[in-house]
Order: sequence, then C-alpha cells, then structure tokens
Amino acid sequence: MFDLYLPMFLMFAIAAGVAAGMFSLGQFVGKNPQSAEKLTPFECGNDTEGAGNVRLSVKFYLTAILFVVFDIEVVFIYPWAALFKGLGWVGFASMLMFVVALLVALVYCWKKGALEWEK
Amino acid sequence: MDLVIALSPLLAVGFGGLMLMLAEAFGKPSEEGISKTTGDVVDAGAGRGAELGLGASVVLIAGAVMAVGVWIVGPETLEGVADVAPYLLIDRFSLFFTFVLCLGGAFTALLGGGYLPEHRIDRSEFFPLVLFSTFGAIALAMSGDLLSLFVGLETMSLGVYCLIGLRRGSARATEAALKYFLLGSFAAALTLFGAALLYGATGHTDLVGIGEAVATIGQPDSTVAAMPVLLALALTLAGLGFKVAAVPFHQWTPDAYEGAPTPATAFMAAVVKTAAFAILLRVLLVGFGEERLMSWGTGWPPVIATLAVLSMTVGNVVAGRQESVKRMLAYSSIAHAGVALVGVAATIRSTEDATASVLFYLLVYTVSTAGAFGALILCGSRGAEAVSYEDLAGIAKRHPAAALAFSLFLLSLAGFPPTAGFFGKLYVFQSAIDSELYVLVIIGLVNSLIGAYYYVRVMVYMYMREPVPGAPVAKPMSSGMVTSAIVLAALLVLGLGILPGVSLDMAIAAAARGG
Repeated sequence: MFDLYLPMFLMFAIAAGVAAGMFSLGQFVGKNPQSAEKLTPFECGNDTEGAGNVRLSVKFYLTAILFVVFDIEVVFIYPWAALFKGLGWVGFASMLMFVVALLVALVYCWKKGALEWEK
Repeated sequence: MDLVIALSPLLAVGFGGLMLMLAEAFGKPSEEGISKTTGDVVDAGAGRGAELGLGASVVLIAGAVMAVGVWIVGPETLEGVADVAPYLLIDRFSLFFTFVLCLGGAFTALLGGGYLPEHRIDRSEFFPLVLFSTFGAIALAMSGDLLSLFVGLETMSLGVYCLIGLRRGSARATEAALKYFLLGSFAAALTLFGAALLYGATGHTDLVGIGEAVATIGQPDSTVAAMPVLLALALTLAGLGFKVAAVPFHQWTPDAYEGAPTPATAFMAAVVKTAAFAILLRVLLVGFGEERLMSWGTGWPPVIATLAVLSMTVGNVVAGRQESVKRMLAYSSIAHAGVALVGVAATIRSTEDATASVLFYLLVYTVSTAGAFGALILCGSRGAEAVSYEDLAGIAKRHPAAALAFSLFLLSLAGFPPTAGFFGKLYVFQSAIDSELYVLVIIGLVNSLIGAYYYVRVMVYMYMREPVPGAPVAKPMSSGMVTSAIVLAALLVLGLGILPGVSLDMAIAAAARGG
C-alpha cells in the first residue's frame, strides 16, 4: 500500500520544495525594501474601477444552464452512438425517449422566451 | 410489451408531465383572470391553475389506477420486468408505493388547482413540477440500485425545491426554499457518500449484491471490510433521515413547511416522506438485511429505535407549543415519521408483518395529512389565510362542513377510532409488541396522548371559541377542486378506518414480495 503511493508523496514533496524554493529565492535575491507602489496588486496596467460584486443579468445564468443541459445530452449520445449496433432496438427506444423528453424541454424553453437575448 | 405494461404508472406520470408542460407553454393565458389570479406574472398558461390542476390530477389518478392494474395482473407474470432489474424493481412492494404516491400527488394537484388562483400565485409551472416530482418519487420507491436511488431522489427533490419557492416575492418562501435546498443537497451528498463507500467496500451498486457481500463479513475468505459498511450505513441513514424529517435531522421542516404554499407542504408531508420511507425500508431490509446487522446488539435497530423515540417525543412536545396550525402540522409530521420508524425498528423479528404495518401506516398518513392540509386551505382565502389557532376560532359556525372535515382528519392523525389513523397506529404498535419492543410501544402510546392534546385544541378553537372582536379571521374559500380532494380523502379515511382489511391484506402481500 505504502509502496504504491510513495512516488506520489515524493512528487508532492518535490513540488512543494520547488515552489517554496522559488519564493524564498525571490525574497533573498530581490531588492529590499519594497516600496508601497511595488506592493499594489496591479503594479502595471489600468487602475481597477467599480465594485467587485456587479449584478449580472439572470440571462447569463439561463444560457449557461441550458448549455449544460444540452451538453450533457451529447455526453450521453456519444457512448450510445459508439455502441449503437450492440444496443439494438431497446437502446434506440431508450435514447429516443431521452431525446424526445429533452426536445419537449427545448420547445418549452423556446416558447417561454428563454432563448431570446433581447426582449 | 410486458415491460411497457409493468412500467405504465411511471410512464404515464412522466409522459403526462411532458404533455402538461407543452399545454402550459402553448396554452392561452386566461383572459379575465390574469390580474386577479397571478399578481404580477403574465405568462403563457398563467391563470390556468384550475385546468392544469385538473389535468395533473387526472394523470396521477390514472397512474394510481395503472398501478392497481399491474397489481391485479401480477408483476411476477410479466417477463420484461427482469430487464430493468435491479435499477427499477417492479414488485408488489413498489406497486403499493406507486399507488400511495400517485394518490398523494393527485391530492396535491387538486389542492393546488384551488389554492393557487385564490392566492394569486397561479403560476402554471406548479403542475408539471408536481408530476415530475411524483415521477421521481415513484422511481425512488422502485429503485433497487444505488444509482437509480440517487437519480430518483434528486428528481423528486429538485421539483420540490421549486414548489416551495413558488411565491417568489415572499421572503418567507425564499427562505424556506433555500433552507430546504441547502439541507436537502447536503443530505443527498451524505447519501451519495454512503453509496460510494458501499460500492468501494462491496464492489456492488445493487442492493441485493450489497446484501450478499455484507453477509460475508467476518468469514475467513471475505474481502469486505466492516468499518466502511457501517460508516456507509450511518451516512445513508442520515441522508434518508433528512428526507423523512426524523429528529435530529428535522430542523428544516417547520420553516420549509410554513413558507411553502400549502399544497406544496401537503406534497412534502405526504409524497416525499412516503417515498423516502419506501427506499429506507428497501435499503435496510435488502442491503443491510443480514442477520447480525438486523439484531438489536450489533446492527441498525437501536439507531432506528432512537430516531423513532426522539422524533415522536420532540415532534409531539414541540407541536403542542406552536401558535401556527401549519407549523403544528409540520411538527406533527415529524412525530408521525417517528411512529413509522417504530414499525421499521419492529422489522427485526416479524419482518413481514412489521413492513406491512409501515406500508399501511404510510397510506393512512398520506390520506389523513393531505386531507388536513386541504381542510386548512379550505378554511382560508386571499388575504385571510388560516394560519394560527386564533384564525380558526369559531369557523364551525361560518363554515360547518370545512370544520367537520378538518376535525375528521385531525382525529385520524391523532389516532382515534373509527378513523384510519387508529388502525394505522394499532398495526404498527402491534408489530412492535410482536418484536418485543415494549419500551418503544409505551413511549409511542404516551406520545399519542400528548398528540391528542394539540389536535383536539384545534377543534376546541373551531367549535368552542369565538373570534376576538376586531381580530382578523379566516374567511373560507369556495373551490370545487379543494372540496373534491377533501371529500375523497374523507371517504378514504373513513373507509380505511371501517374496513381496513382489504388494504391491509394488500400491504401484507406487498411486504411479502418486497421485504
């Protein structure tokens, strides 16, 4: 059991060591002391503006969740298509029911206006 | 073809849900009713609660009738049934639950058809969601595999989360929905964690395979470790405990029940709880039905017995202290879960009798509690909803029929003869005595007495109190659908109380096949 995980532990240890080494190297070799300007999160580029918690339209959420639904549909259809012959008519009927159920859902979303961006 | 017949209740409910969804999307909003029945929402299908509710209840009653049909044909004679096992088990146990769940769903649909237009939340999503949730509940009751168990559980719950939050503008309803959603997801995660551990320990996801693997624990050539199995048992029990609202997993219940629209509350109390008990029985008796796990010293019975005692006691004591009738019914549903758990604990000796008593109890409880919430709906109207005891003061004078029906359901919940509730409790305690769980029975009887106090208190307010002058009183609504649901429930409560034999025989037959 331990033998099995030893390489993994070693890898974690080396990764942690390398990361810690890099950081401390920067600390020791770099110029000190740091100025206040140097410590700002965005030393270069534009100054940040506005609040961090902007309210987004619910449409983004709706689009995202619809994308996930139909994405998952494809996830199910791929393995089914790969095994199409082996699954036979039972598999076809099962997939047909699944696709029809989602089709009804799509029609529902469409009719309810979930796919319209501007309204 | 056999398979289609065997699955017909499930298919009917699912297909009905899809059709209702289309009907809702393509239907015309009712012309005159919109502003009167929906508040701010103008949507396709809005203001059509009565029509959609009727449609949903017809579909669900058809599902119940199909379950009876498959029962009469006999699921053993249908060959296609083996094709879907163990993911969906179609036996008499499943069919009994399918019938009860469809019945509970039909009550919800009928109550919703009256309640939603009255309270201006006539959002037509309600009815397809009820159908899909019932679909999930039936799948859950049929499942004999951890995968279909989880899918069924989630299908059932997702719909209910939305049902609770139907009143979008209300902070109460949002709080209730969020609370139920967070705790429900947490409970589902616990169940899933337990399922993963079980699969890791036994290498099976089907309950029969798990049961066989668990039985080999302790034998010299066994590869199954005891610790993960016990941990999985504890996690599964906790997850399902949330769904049946057993103490100490009950914290969400009063808030969720109170914030939800009353038909959704009835749905949670009747359908969700019954389905969770179905799968609890199946998991315990099939997956963990091994002799050592089912014995008092080394298995789950003491855990279940503790849950039962806590649920009964806490449920009843706290219910007596409520000022809101809806909250009181929520705590009473916790207490009823405790009584049903006594029956579950009693499966250790007389397994079949005890299982049958739980099934019968759940049927009785579904009918009584749906009826009680229906009567509560009937007692209130828009702006004057019946919530507290004071609201109900003197309602017997203003609306004698509603008060009479309410009293009948309360008597049944309290367990007075000749209502159905009496026989439900009788059989559960009888099977507990057969299993020599005398302490549980005594605690149960004491709790029945405590319970009688707050059930009777409602009746005292309805019949013997006059409303305080100037205080808001509940005005009864008039709705044919709510009335018909109440009449149906009342007939069943009396019918099951006077002639419990037929349905009890069916419960015994169901237990013999399923347990």
